[in-house]
Amino acid sequence: MEPISRRVFFRQGSFALVALGLPPSFLTRSLLAQTRAAVRKKTLICIFQRGAVDGLNMVVPFGEKAYYERRRTIAVRQPGQDAGAIDLDGFFGLHPSLGPLHDLWRRRELAIVHAVGSPHPTRSHFEAQDYMETAAPGSSSVRDGWLNRALTQTGCDCDGRTLEDARAHAADHTAGQTAMALPPALRGIAMGSSMPVSLRGAHPALAAGDISRFGVAGGRDASLESTFERMHGGGGDMISAASGEAFDAIRVLRAANPAQYRAAAGVNYPAGEFGRSLSQIVQLIKSDIGVEIAFTDIGGWDTHQAQGAGQGQLARRFDELARGIRALHDDLGDRMEDVVVLTMSEFGRTVAENGSGGTDHGHANCMLVMGGQANGGRILGDWPGLEREQLYEGRDLALTTDFRDVFGEIVSSHLGVDDTAPVFPGYEVDAARHRGVLRG
Amino acid sequence: MGWTSGRSSGETACGRRFRPASGSSSRNGIRGLIAVATAAMALLPALVPAAAAAQMAATAGQVQASGEGQVPAQATDPELHLLRRTTFGVRPADLAELKSLGIEVWLDRQLNPSRIDDGQLDDRLDRFPAAMKSISELVADYSPPRQPRDSASRETMTPTQRRMRAESSPARILADMTGAKLTRAAWSERQLEEVMTDFWFNHFNVYFGKGLDRYLVGDYERTAIRPHVFGRFEDMLLATAKHPAMLFYLDNWTSFAPVSMSGARDLNANRQRRERGMNENYARELLELHTLGVDGGYTQDDVVAVARAFTGWTFVPPANRQNARPMGRRPGAGEPGTFSFRLELHDTETKIVLGQELPAGRGMEDGTDVIRMVASHPSTARHIATKLIERFVSDSPDPAFVDELAAVFTKSDGDLREVTRALFVSPRFYDASNVGTKVKTPFELVASALRVTYADISLSPRLVTTLRELGQLPYDETSPTGYPSASEEWVNSGAMLNRMNFALELTSGRFAGVRPDGQRLARDPDADPDMAVSDLIDLLMPGLRTDALVSTIRTDLTAQADAAASPVRSLGARAVGLALGSPAFQRR
Repeated sequence: MEPISRRVFFRQGSFALVALGLPPSFLTRSLLAQTRAAVRKKTLICIFQRGAVDGLNMVVPFGEKAYYERRRTIAVRQPGQDAGAIDLDGFFGLHPSLGPLHDLWRRRELAIVHAVGSPHPTRSHFEAQDYMETAAPGSSSVRDGWLNRALTQTGCDCDGRTLEDARAHAADHTAGQTAMALPPALRGIAMGSSMPVSLRGAHPALAAGDISRFGVAGGRDASLESTFERMHGGGGDMISAASGEAFDAIRVLRAANPAQYRAAAGVNYPAGEFGRSLSQIVQLIKSDIGVEIAFTDIGGWDTHQAQGAGQGQLARRFDELARGIRALHDDLGDRMEDVVVLTMSEFGRTVAENGSGGTDHGHANCMLVMGGQANGGRILGDWPGLEREQLYEGRDLALTTDFRDVFGEIVSSHLGVDDTAPVFPGYEVDAARHRGVLRG
Repeated sequence: MGWTSGRSSGETACGRRFRPASGSSSRNGIRGLIAVATAAMALLPALVPAAAAAQMAATAGQVQASGEGQVPAQATDPELHLLRRTTFGVRPADLAELKSLGIEVWLDRQLNPSRIDDGQLDDRLDRFPAAMKSISELVADYSPPRQPRDSASRETMTPTQRRMRAESSPARILADMTGAKLTRAAWSERQLEEVMTDFWFNHFNVYFGKGLDRYLVGDYERTAIRPHVFGRFEDMLLATAKHPAMLFYLDNWTSFAPVSMSGARDLNANRQRRERGMNENYARELLELHTLGVDGGYTQDDVVAVARAFTGWTFVPPANRQNARPMGRRPGAGEPGTFSFRLELHDTETKIVLGQELPAGRGMEDGTDVIRMVASHPSTARHIATKLIERFVSDSPDPAFVDELAAVFTKSDGDLREVTRALFVSPRFYDASNVGTKVKTPFELVASALRVTYADISLSPRLVTTLRELGQLPYDETSPTGYPSASEEWVNSGAMLNRMNFALELTSGRFAGVRPDGQRLARDPDADPDMAVSDLIDLLMPGLRTDALVSTIRTDLTAQADAAASPVRSLGARAVGLALGSPAFQRR
């Protein structure tokens, strides 16, 4: 908890100016500098691999005979061979295109959970993604996202107030009646044009395809902005709420100017949307505007056909993923102490390759957890094996860790949520099942 | 203070020179400006004769007379509600036509689109040649360049070479298809057919960006979707199942039974071989997305059995494409780019699908039997009814309405003309709780903005990037689920800003390839400023005008005029941009 005096100063100082629409960049910058310790928060960065990544080629169980028997053309070769896996512990290896992450493993900043996923048997992309993002497999009544619920459980000092109606509450903040210095929507940011289910819910959040262009008419005409704000204000409906969050965020982003944070020397993000999203997430974190949760996704994992082995279609996706994460890591530098990066994907893929040199929808998968506090250099969870009788429904990697136990540990140990039960409705939360992905 | 006469001089659409009103109050200041400015926004020479423009204004005036009042008429106007859901944008003339015909007659006309003359579209569609070409023509004309796309070779190209490469690039196909789709959405008289084509394409989504599909998707929409939107569901389902675009997209074209299946005694070995040869992607989406729905009562075993039933359903690859090589072209295999069933690759053993046996020793009828079975399944009727209601009625479908519509689907044997009619004549559709509650998707927003501004559309890469930024570029959804229709999927802070920015850019005169028709939106230069803004809103969104919106726009324009901050000629465009970015215009 930050000292209360700073919080009050922050509210009455810089945010008041920001709210007036003044351009207080010199002042804000110095205030931000003074209060950095106060605003600097733990951040969780989630990367959703949409389309169901083939976890068995991502973190390769090269010690399994069955792996090679059932993947005649697409198995990643043993370490030491041409385009072979990168040995991690004598049994598991990284796909060779994930090489940029190997350093993090050696520095114990990368932990891996294998055979993790959703206990629900669905093999439907959209259903499984929904279940993972709501963190409520099998429930169609839970519509909001786990990250949004995590936001409602943290970060508000307003004495004793519940956050049942977080939007109304947030409006109080915006109106300056209570002590929250920055627009609450900035606590949860999704890179992309639509708000992912993970961040959908009662707590305000922001979705932006490109923060450098987040504004009205490129900021050239302030009167257009205020006219639109007047027009969209006070409707009390979905559209007004979303627009209101946007106008609050514009003011803060303008003052903080994330674009001033150029990537650190020697850091190169991969070309394309994923790399740009990660670099903008880093800019936002460095701007200290209160980002606690950042979300982005990367597609192209639904490799039913010709997925390749050590090289090929899937290898190219891994290359982009790994170079992106590595760039983010290096760019954040010592800030990685306060950051956790978590990857996820809706389900795994069949152990056997199909008739088209690809894999079909499967069950359990693997997740990466990275950061200064990660319990790195380990493969966590129980390995169920790949012999036929060890498989789920005779075809897929069986599940030994419920993804909610990984999410739950991060929500509790990293984001500091004391009671995680509301974040995981219908799930009996039990810290004893945590896999120890974070040190602590 | 007002504007200087130097700023305001300019010719109106009707050729009259605009004279500033006397006096310097801001009220007088914007008098007439909107007229001048909207006329100027298109940055076009006057193409429409003055008489025609005057007549249009008169028509618009008549229409407005019926929708007068301070409270938006939407709550009590079934015709407006119907148009907002069955068209890509409501023009005053559309409302007038519907009111004069009556809902049933209008709907019947729209349900029989061939009876509506749409010849005026042809000239507009001619601008997008790639959208009209056959599969073979596209492969021949838009193959990727032979030489590697390294930057060095790009830099040494002459501008002409560069243009020719762009002209023949596959990206041109997508730009043309997007232009053609928006042209139809904005200009077709057969609005319901356009809307339903969009719905059914999305229901049977295929993705342009997956390899060969860039050459196949246009033909798919033209031959597998559009002809069936008022036909039988089963026919459309079969047409999609057999179309190369779907076969390629969901991988069924490489789903085969093992080569030497017959005669083997070891059932387990047979099963393994079968798993290796088969791809269950299409089978799963057929059951989950196209027909029964995710809770429709099928199992993983059904998915496998259906996949086996469709083994050997493939297509003859289009000529001259390296992508198509894995299959090879065999002599006598049929027309390139068409469906082909290859019995030698079909799994001929017995299969059990949804409890029914498909006997051993058969061929293509395994697949067609599955199509028939799932098309008439009660779960399919409910699934389709739910999706239609979600898209056209409410984000939270009323179960009673779903039952009602599913019953029509079943009773009519999946006759989509009857199902569509039932959807839009049901009193449940007109329930006040449904009016104005759906938020337009990004494509619907763009299409409606083009339609109500009578925008002239030609090849526009900017439209492609805009729709991509807004999150709904047609033919570009990678997932077989298609684009969502629920409002909450599309409403968030970033998306709202993108919409406002689109509205401003569209009306700025700088939107490459798209020109709103300022002359049609021009108001009487002598009108009272409030009236001018009111009239403009009535043109852009008939029946949805509120005092608050008029006054917000009016205040903005006044401030601009007072501060002389904007050139006068841009004020009308500004008013249109503000209106199109308003919350009311985001709803349907």
